[in-house]
Amino acid sequence: MIVVNIIILSVNSSRYSSYGSWRIAIFFIAPFQKTVTQSVQFLKNIWGHYFFMVSVAQENDNIKKAINQPIDKNNKNREVEFTPERLSNFRLRNLLNFRETMTNQVLVAEVISQDPSPWFKTIIIDKGKSDGVEKGLPVVVPEGIAGQIIDISYNYSKVLLIIDPNSAVDALVQRTRDRGLIKGESYGRCLSKYVLRKHDVKVGDTVVSSGLDGVFPKGLRVGYVTEIVKRNSGIFQEVTVMPYVDFEKLEEVLIVLDSPKHDFDFVSEQ
Amino acid sequence: MTYCFYICVCLCLVIFQTTIIPHIALFNNFYDLLIPFIIYLGLFRPAREGILFILVLGFIMDSLSGGPFGLYLTTYFWLFIVVKIVIKYLHACNNILLLFIVAAGVLMENIIFIASVSMFGPDSRFLAITMRAVIFQILWAGCTGFFFITFFNHIHKKLEKFSIFRSGTKIT
Repeated sequence: MIVVNIIILSVNSSRYSSYGSWRIAIFFIAPFQKTVTQSVQFLKNIWGHYFFMVSVAQENDNIKKAINQPIDKNNKNREVEFTPERLSNFRLRNLLNFRETMTNQVLVAEVISQDPSPWFKTIIIDKGKSDGVEKGLPVVVPEGIAGQIIDISYNYSKVLLIIDPNSAVDALVQRTRDRGLIKGESYGRCLSKYVLRKHDVKVGDTVVSSGLDGVFPKGLRVGYVTEIVKRNSGIFQEVTVMPYVDFEKLEEVLIVLDSPKHDFDFVSEQ
Repeated sequence: MTYCFYICVCLCLVIFQTTIIPHIALFNNFYDLLIPFIIYLGLFRPAREGILFILVLGFIMDSLSGGPFGLYLTTYFWLFIVVKIVIKYLHACNNILLLFIVAAGVLMENIIFIASVSMFGPDSRFLAITMRAVIFQILWAGCTGFFFITFFNHIHKKLEKFSIFRSGTKIT
C-alpha cells in the first residue's frame, strides 16, 4: 500500500494535474473564501478609515499648532500619507495606470485565497471561464510577472505563482540579454537556471521575460539578481533572482487575455 | 449531527487557513490547522466514521493546493492510521500524548511534503530555510495543538448531549 502510494505521488509530482476535482472543490469552498476575503478587506477599509479619521483629527490639531510649529506640521502630514486608506488608493491607482500602459488586453481579478500549504505557491482569483479566462494565460501586476493560470472553473481560477517549484519562465538579463530559465524556489525567491558561466551577470541586474516561452509577453519585469554562484566545475552559473512582486501582499492581479501563443500542436505533428 | 459538526469545523478551518492566516504576519509559519482535527478523529472517533471524512478532506485540500495531487490525501490517511495504531498502546485522553501528538503529526506532514518538493530537484539552501519553517511549525503545534483537540472534543460532547436531550424530549 505504501509502495503504491509513493508511485502515485511520484507520477503526480512530475506534472500538475487536479483531474478535474478542482472544479468540484472550488464550487463549494470558493464562495465562502470570497465572502471571508471581502469581509476582511471591508474590515481593513473600516480600520483604515478609522485611522484616517484619527489622522485627520490629529492633523487638524497639528494645523492649529502649526502656526507656531511649521516643521512639526510637515512631518505629521507625511504620516497621514501612509494610512492604509491612502495605501489602498495608491495600489489601485498604480494597477489602473499599469493597465492603461499595457498594449495587451487585460482583465482585473481579485485574489480570494492562497495555497493551504506553505511549500506550494498558488492563489485563487475571482475570474474564470465565464470572464474569458483560459488555462495557461499569464498573470501580471504593475511590479512584474506574478504567475500563470493552471486551472479554471466557471467563476474562479487557480494561479501558479513564479515562486512555486513547479513554475518556469523563460527570461533574460536586461543589460546583457543573456537567457536563463527562472524556476521557483518555494521560499520567495527564484533561481535562474542554465545561465552560461561566460556570461557577465552582475548583482542588481534586472531580469525580464524573453517572450520565448509562449506564455508571458516579452519585456515584463521578473526580478533582480541578488546572488551569483560560480562553481569550480560545470558550464552554468547559479543566479538567484528576487522577484519584484511582493507575493505576501498580492490583492489584485491582471490577467493578460491576448498573450502570445505558440502552436505546439503543429510542431508535434511535424 | 456529527457529520454536520465535521463539515462546519472543516469548512471554518480551511477558510481560515486559506484566507485569514496569510494576512497575519504572526502566523507566517503556522501549521496545517486540519492536523489537530485529523488527530482528534483518530483519537476519539471510530475508524469507520472518520476514514471517509478524512479522504474527502484530503481530496478537497489537494484540489485547493498547487502541490502534486494526492499529497494531502496521503498525509491525512497515514496520519489517521498512525494515530489509530498509537491509541492501541496509549490512552487517548493522556495529556502528555495530546501535548506531543499534534507536533508529531505536523512533523510527519512536513516530511512527506519536503520529500515531495525535493523530487523537483535538490537544493542546498532549501534545507536550511525549510528546517527553520518546520521548527516554527512544530513549536506552534506544541503550544496550541492540545487546545484545539480539547476544544473539538468538548464541542462534540456538548453537541452529542444536546442531540440526546432533544431526542429525549421528543420521546416524552
